Amino acid sequence: MKTAQDRAIMSRYDFRKPGVKVVYAFMVLCIILISLSMLYPFANTFMNSLKSTEEFFAFPAPFFPSHWLWGNYKESLDYLNIALHFKNTVLIFAGNTFISLTFLGLAAFSLAHLRVPAKKWITLYFMSTLLIPANSYLIPNFLNLKGLGLLNSFWAFWLPAGANAFYLLLLKNFFDGIHKELFESARIDGASEFRSFLSIAVPLSAPILVTLVLLGFSTTWNDFYWSSLVMQEDKLPLAAAIYTKIIYPGSTINWNVRFAILSMTLLPPLIVFLFFQRYIISGLSLGAVKG
Amino acid sequence: MELRMDTPVAKPGLRRKTRWYFWGLLFLVPEIVIFFIFLWVPIAKGISYSFYNVDFVDGNAFVGWQNYADVLGNPDFYTAIRNTLVYMGLALLIGFWVPIAMAIAVSELKWFKGFARIVGYLPSIIPAIVLYGMWQWFYDPVGPINSFLNFVGLPEFDFYSKEHAMFSLIILETWQNFGSATLIYVAGLAAVPRELYEASELDGAGVWARIRYVTLPSLKGLILLLLVLQLIATSQAFQSQLLMFGGGPDNATLTYLLLTTREAFTFFNFGKASAMGVLMFIVLVVFSVATLKLRKGGDEA
Repeated sequence: MKTAQDRAIMSRYDFRKPGVKVVYAFMVLCIILISLSMLYPFANTFMNSLKSTEEFFAFPAPFFPSHWLWGNYKESLDYLNIALHFKNTVLIFAGNTFISLTFLGLAAFSLAHLRVPAKKWITLYFMSTLLIPANSYLIPNFLNLKGLGLLNSFWAFWLPAGANAFYLLLLKNFFDGIHKELFESARIDGASEFRSFLSIAVPLSAPILVTLVLLGFSTTWNDFYWSSLVMQEDKLPLAAAIYTKIIYPGSTINWNVRFAILSMTLLPPLIVFLFFQRYIISGLSLGAVKG
Repeated sequence: MELRMDTPVAKPGLRRKTRWYFWGLLFLVPEIVIFFIFLWVPIAKGISYSFYNVDFVDGNAFVGWQNYADVLGNPDFYTAIRNTLVYMGLALLIGFWVPIAMAIAVSELKWFKGFARIVGYLPSIIPAIVLYGMWQWFYDPVGPINSFLNFVGLPEFDFYSKEHAMFSLIILETWQNFGSATLIYVAGLAAVPRELYEASELDGAGVWARIRYVTLPSLKGLILLLLVLQLIATSQAFQSQLLMFGGGPDNATLTYLLLTTREAFTFFNFGKASAMGVLMFIVLVVFSVATLKLRKGGDEA
């Protein structure tokens, strides 16, 4: 039952030509090398985090440590209160998710299904910000937060998280796909619009909501520069704390200790990815509409 | 159309109108306020600050076009623009075709397809700060890459020298970013109808000809889109430059945005930095609108 669906660019017939075979073998080799170059740095980071300093600089360096020095991890806690900064990251992530999804969800629902005066202009008011690159108003944004007295407060992340036209666009597109009749019948049954939103629109849009939560997770987990400007010392999220205290250019902290911290930091996003792979990858192709 | 049972036309008046629009507006108000305070106000303030000398102690003073004159008179400004353009160009030259080639190669795999697809995406999951921390060591004069070169008898490569700094960054960034573009291309490739390959093969087209005349033309729209996105993204690059090189050596990796943030947060010239932001804003918005127009025009044609 070989059908046309089984083939890609090359057919089984092509594989009989020796020239094609050689090129294909070369291609497979390239993919293997690329895969190794992707995996090696992470394995290397983890192994190095368990080595002694002498072994770290040994030449040629062994791949595996001769003794697994978990003490490096304990030592790394002297440089960085990981639990505290981890908690800050989680707090920022939770607040951002709540504010952005609640209010953007309501607004998207309203634009998609409710009566709104001058809907076109209001939509433009939101969507035109998509064209403006966030970095071009980085400085006034900082001064604005300073003026509002929000610096070094979690609200400096939570509130601006709601100003995300990209999420609004994705939510609105999703709500547009839900049949109007569903809401009409809910209205006739006497449900308030808020009730329709909560018990019809939200459950139906679970996939997009999960995707947006995961997008938010990686944004929060990744950002170090902006949060290092907005927050200070004990309020820094993890990535920003690592940036200001551990791996700034010219850092003198021992490599093995640095790598212990890096290993701990890369673990949570890795686990999240392994669990939610499907959603993260579908979010990726959503990103392509952002242009 | 909506069911117009109690149209406001029947009984005009403000109260009636408010009730008609009540829920729609109620749901929109929080976002209208948030967008105003955290997007439109900063954007407007950025333009106004660019004409002021921003001083937290003595208050802001209007200085007219002085900030712009200062920015244009600063030789670093031109270095930064040149570096940014070089960086954008190198990223296209070295990095842009990698995901296309990788996606085509991965789609042809017979085994481990799923694994090969995901493995390139790995660096995109990990926080950038962790990657930079790792690469600081890989590029180290005694780090793994130089040890390896030493081991096979090649001369040491100084990744941190003035001549090589930009190149080192591009390698790092390509390694870090090609996985997500690969996944987008893989999705695009899956949409190419198999019958086209079948038909062109029967017509005697070899494997290369099929890639050249079937695969690549089918991906054209996607390639253009990712090209525009990459240009917009690389024109705003500054984080890897900051972390790996601090803009140095000798300003070799000083990009436009890095200079902007340096003016603001190292020298506290917020007025000058805002002026640089406005210039960038104009260039990028013009570019975005132009590409949007081009794409719309292309669709109609």
